[in-house]
Amino acid sequence: MAAALAVFILYTSIAGAGTPQISPSTVAQHTGEDVLLVGTVVGHVAGDSHAAGMRFVLKDDHGTAPARTRVLYSGSVPDLFRTGRQVVVEGTLHDGTFVAKPGSLVTKCPSKYTPAKSNT
Amino acid sequence: MTTAALVIGAALAVLAVLAVARPFLREPAPADDALDEPGELERRRLTLTEERDRALAALKELEFDHRTGKISDDDYRSLVGPLRRRAAEALRALEPRAEGRGAQVARPG
Amino acid sequence: MADLGRAALLLSLGLVAYALVGGSLAAWKRRRRLALSAQNALIAAFATTLVAAVVLVVACARRDLSFVYVAQHTSRSLPLGYALSAFWGGQEGSLLLWLLVLTGYSALAVWLNRRSRDLIAWTVPVLGGVAVFFAFMLCFVSSPFETAAAPADGAGMVPSLQNPYMLAHPPMLYLGYVGLTIPFAFAMGALLAKRTDERWIIVTRRWTLAAWTFLGVGQLLGAHWAYVEIGWGGYYAWDPVENAALMPWLASTAFLHSVMIQEKRGMLKVWNVTLVALAFCLSIFGTFLTRSGVVNSIHSFSQSPLGGWFLGFIALVTVFSVALIYIRLPLLRARTRLESLVSREATFLYNNLLLVALALTILWGVVYPLLTQAVNGTTRSVSKPYYDFFLHSFGLPLLLLMGIGPLVAWRRASLRALGRTFVIPAAVAVVTGGALIGAGFGSSKAGLLTYTFSAFVAASIALEFVRGRRAAGSLRRLVGRNRRRYGGYIVHAAVVLLAIGIAGSSAYQTIRERSLRQGQSMQVAGYTLTYASLGTRQLQNAQETSATVEVSRGGSHVTTLHPGKSWFPVEQSASNDVSIYHDPRNLGDVYTIADGISKNGTLDLKVLVKPLVNLVWAAGFVFVFGALVAMWPDAVEQRRLVERYATAPA
Repeated sequence: MAAALAVFILYTSIAGAGTPQISPSTVAQHTGEDVLLVGTVVGHVAGDSHAAGMRFVLKDDHGTAPARTRVLYSGSVPDLFRTGRQVVVEGTLHDGTFVAKPGSLVTKCPSKYTPAKSNT
Repeated sequence: MTTAALVIGAALAVLAVLAVARPFLREPAPADDALDEPGELERRRLTLTEERDRALAALKELEFDHRTGKISDDDYRSLVGPLRRRAAEALRALEPRAEGRGAQVARPG
Repeated sequence: MADLGRAALLLSLGLVAYALVGGSLAAWKRRRRLALSAQNALIAAFATTLVAAVVLVVACARRDLSFVYVAQHTSRSLPLGYALSAFWGGQEGSLLLWLLVLTGYSALAVWLNRRSRDLIAWTVPVLGGVAVFFAFMLCFVSSPFETAAAPADGAGMVPSLQNPYMLAHPPMLYLGYVGLTIPFAFAMGALLAKRTDERWIIVTRRWTLAAWTFLGVGQLLGAHWAYVEIGWGGYYAWDPVENAALMPWLASTAFLHSVMIQEKRGMLKVWNVTLVALAFCLSIFGTFLTRSGVVNSIHSFSQSPLGGWFLGFIALVTVFSVALIYIRLPLLRARTRLESLVSREATFLYNNLLLVALALTILWGVVYPLLTQAVNGTTRSVSKPYYDFFLHSFGLPLLLLMGIGPLVAWRRASLRALGRTFVIPAAVAVVTGGALIGAGFGSSKAGLLTYTFSAFVAASIALEFVRGRRAAGSLRRLVGRNRRRYGGYIVHAAVVLLAIGIAGSSAYQTIRERSLRQGQSMQVAGYTLTYASLGTRQLQNAQETSATVEVSRGGSHVTTLHPGKSWFPVEQSASNDVSIYHDPRNLGDVYTIADGISKNGTLDLKVLVKPLVNLVWAAGFVFVFGALVAMWPDAVEQRRLVERYATAPA
């Protein structure tokens, strides 16, 4: 039975492979790939996520890398989303703009206690 | 505020020390300070008692399963014999010990 | 007052350290007075921790902002109830709650078993050891009693935490998490004392049941909270924090079942001590996950100094448990073999395997990002598809086993007898399955299987009650004589309800999103929702904007919903106010979210129709009822146990 379980786990490690979590300073290396972009929101948030799309900019959570990634997002926006918050959004980098999968925006809860998120 | 804190804190500390020291204060020079542990005989008795209870419970369950139809008559007949023997053995194994220690004979529960 | 808190915690640390060291010495050298002294130390530690807790709670209530903790987690305008709950709202406070519950439980366990000095000789130092970790953290790493110049006002509480759930969910979870320490300590204590009898299991049975119930209810509360408050339309997102509670719950479910085998047949002893250690380790791991936020990003590791300490403690506990079990392996080896693969013992074994497998795959999913980061440099994570796959792979067989188990006899079930007992539940399942396929439920294979298996289990449980009642004479006598078994069946019924509710609300739900102008409508699964108007309202510490949405079905008006958003000025953040209609006709919900309200009054409305979801919450009540029946004291059994252990030396 343990062997069967081990096989299962190996299967997920190889086949599943998960989705990589990338920060703005390294996302350019993954242009065209489906990744999870992890960063902190900076600057002004514009647009409507239910119309043409919401636009915001992400920088690295840690460190002082100058890299900034523009994100175009549509779908539900979690309560806690605003400038200065750490977020994770799934999508692909195209022509310099990170196009997000609708509804994949997740905000890290600052008190590290409850999962504050919006999922479909 | 800090004086109250000091008083409560001191009281707490005293109580804590007292609680810990109490056994030593009550019996400064005891005749026997040994923490008993079950001897070999006692451990055997315990194992046998559990074995007895298990055998009796298994019999009860067999009856119940038979009455609720989970065990066919044939299976019941073939299983009940060995189980009854096991229970009888377990009861017998306990008795000499019980008598030897002068305690009551174990009741069939 | 902060000084008093600090002093009390230092006293606690001293006392539990004494319990650990003195208790170990006493158990090893067989010293009666020292053992008693160590017991007293553990009990006294509860008193000192209680004082520390009271200091913190009072500081929260009085908004004493000179306490850094109070300033971080409360504000002057925060309602009192939530200010009190800030006690466990932050990292330091929740550690204090852990220690408080641990010392409380330990004191109670020691007190109740004070006459069985040999039984608890080694249990006391184990409990002390666990408490030492938390007390040490509280004194030197993460103290709730840091003081600073009081700011003008506190930072307030995150809006999504400001609801009654904040008062119930964390304490309930902690009562569960910490509760698992007691059976662990007794198990390790028995191993250290080289005991091979069942006493530790019997003594801790109700503790385990209670902790397991608290953990289960705590999770359901958390799920309900996420459902109505966080408001994304779901109740479980496979978030590490959620998994943190599920894993120990699964392990303790396996433990609860597995000990029955040890009691009945004397088998699976190694499984049982392993399971209880696993449940405890997962419980500590769960606390660690929730507190340190380590999984979302590996870099949080350095942000929270707690991470390293916790991991070290978990490693220590794991190594200790594994080593001890390994050393005592010869003592634990069973003398009875598994007689047949088709017997109740075997189904319990399969049950163990499936539950542990599920817990471990969830664990794997949770630590996957950490492992890939360490190995590859890139953090990869898994999400819903991964978890769903394993939930279906292991959960469905588990569901089926719940129905099969009771039908199979002990030791060896003849296939003919099995066939007879299976006939009715199997027939019910087949008929249900056929009807469902005909009604169009084949759209989701997992959903269909869940419903069909649930029908099987439900029929099986019903038969148990019917047949049992006939054999015992009356329902009261049946349950009275077999509290654990029939209480267990009630809990299984709760799990069936849960499974049906989950299947209905996920496999068969309908989701639709539209942007509506005032007066416009949208259709979702037979309901028509019309956006009527918009309004604003001022609450105690927030401003609420909500839309009025009329809901009708088949032409007739059913209800009015008010999805909206609230703005909290002190915390500078918004919160979603979802509006839910509970439809009595299908026990489901019409769930509305005001995703966006634009300045010109356009409403972005998201609607989810979730059939049968209310069964999930109903299951919670049935679950508690069943657990209570199983826990209820049985006078006959008590007498027998007293007699069994009476001549054992105190």
